[in-house]
Amino acid sequence: MDYLLHILILINIYIILVISLDLIAGYTGLLSIAHAAFYGIGAYATALLSLHFQTNFLVNMALGMAGAALLGTIIAFPSLRIHDDYFVIATFGFQMIVYSVFNNWVDFTRGPLGIPGIPTASLFGFAIDSHWKFLILSALFACLAYGVVHKLVNSPYGRVLKAIREDEIFARSLGKNVNSYKIQVFAIGGALASVAGNLYAHYVTFIDPTSFTILESILVISMVIIGGAGSLRGPVIGAVVLVILPEALRFVGLPSSVAANLRQIFYGSLLVLMMLYRPQGLIGEFNLQGR
Amino acid sequence: MLPQLFVNGLIAGSIYALVALGFGLIYSTTRFFHFAHGAVYAVGAYLTYAGWLWGLSLYIAIPLAVIGTSALGALLDIAVYRPLRKKGASSLILLLASLGLFIVIQNLISLIFGDDTKTIRSGAVTEGLPIFDARITPIQITIIAVSVPLLALCSVFMRRTKIGKVMRAVANDPELARVVGIESDQIVLFTFVLGSALAAIAAILISLDTDMTPMMGFYALLMGVVAVIAGGVGSIPGSALGGLLVGMAQHLGVWKISTQWQDTIVFLILIFFLLFRPQGFLGKAVKKVSV
Repeated sequence: MDYLLHILILINIYIILVISLDLIAGYTGLLSIAHAAFYGIGAYATALLSLHFQTNFLVNMALGMAGAALLGTIIAFPSLRIHDDYFVIATFGFQMIVYSVFNNWVDFTRGPLGIPGIPTASLFGFAIDSHWKFLILSALFACLAYGVVHKLVNSPYGRVLKAIREDEIFARSLGKNVNSYKIQVFAIGGALASVAGNLYAHYVTFIDPTSFTILESILVISMVIIGGAGSLRGPVIGAVVLVILPEALRFVGLPSSVAANLRQIFYGSLLVLMMLYRPQGLIGEFNLQGR
Repeated sequence: MLPQLFVNGLIAGSIYALVALGFGLIYSTTRFFHFAHGAVYAVGAYLTYAGWLWGLSLYIAIPLAVIGTSALGALLDIAVYRPLRKKGASSLILLLASLGLFIVIQNLISLIFGDDTKTIRSGAVTEGLPIFDARITPIQITIIAVSVPLLALCSVFMRRTKIGKVMRAVANDPELARVVGIESDQIVLFTFVLGSALAAIAAILISLDTDMTPMMGFYALLMGVVAVIAGGVGSIPGSALGGLLVGMAQHLGVWKISTQWQDTIVFLILIFFLLFRPQGFLGKAVKKVSV
């Protein structure tokens, strides 16, 4: 039973990640392969704050979000000058830099050893100490993230984002401050992604840099693209499918190391096939072809 | 200390230059970032390893591996990239497809050979020969003795031979090349073959010196990307110089900063170039948003 709950909790965490990336990549058209950096900032902020200052869950979350929002504004900067595949390369660079800080700043992050013994979450004195309780907590935040992004993209604000995605110069000609929108969207998306990191750290109670590598970023962007960037349901479906799949492979009796490779082969080939036959994803709206 | 760092930088730089040259050639004729180049690189090393396990001498295994790797490059172009080009896919779609291919190939290597380090070094580890104040092993001399003439040869090939000139014509303006009757598909295919062969040679050289893991391609690719961008996308001497710059920066940086940060230095160079000089030091202006 706990196993099933574990899968559901992971799905909730990934839903937060894909929804926040969808805001950046799907709605604003800024394809980013740095999402694991935000995820990692949330997790490391949680681990370090709760171990050194005994702060509680919500404080960790707020400070993690602030840190990720700050990082988001920095990562957004190249998008003001360079576009499309060049911007993807820039996010690659940021992802590698943030990862190398997690991995190499040993005095601060303990490097590859990771940080064990992160306390479980507690909300207003109520300890979230079982799988069931954590599932409810994570589902709550997944719904919140979905709600926030849903509200945002269906508002006039969201229409400006879509306008930037479809035709940046046109959006500019309407007097929209495109640069400021891009920075805001990265800050909001990054802050939301750090919530996933916070939940992950409190849930697993141990973090190390291997959870926040570029492969994780590629996985998250694949979930968004395969599901359909620029829609909300598409990336959620992508997340559910790509989380459940390796577990299904495990049930077939494959050893977990083989299952891990097979999962990556599966989503890699899915990504290629999608690009060949359905570049907008399962139900997406963002047509990558459009430029 | 300094001469040794210089030699190390030269060795790393000449390997990166080979990777960057192949990657840059492919970019210049196809206008997209062929990330799977990293995986193709690793295949070069692993094919040599497979041949060596089979009992072939390295003198036979290495040429076979280079041929096999070129065939893989050609296969990727024919099976995936060419159909995408026929549909007029954008550079983002091609980039995402190549990311998918990268993941598939790398995981196939992991599945077949395992994640642990493999070696094709034979014989005892010898102490390096002292040259000036540096020590350099025979393998490292081989690396420089192979890669530097190879870079020069490629440069002559691109300038003096018919096919080299045609490649540059396609790189310069694919439309116009088609108008004068150049079969651009054939030229692109040839570029993939040549680029993949260069990657295989680089991978084999480095694995003779420092062994191989399935992840090796990813690392080499990142260095190649940085080299291509720093040198100027589409410029062949630029790619080679960029490779040298990255190798030198990585190793000379160690003189002042501790070794674990050497990759971080490289990615800071990347961000710097993308922000302030995205066309690199030898390249032409980079694309802007178009109406």
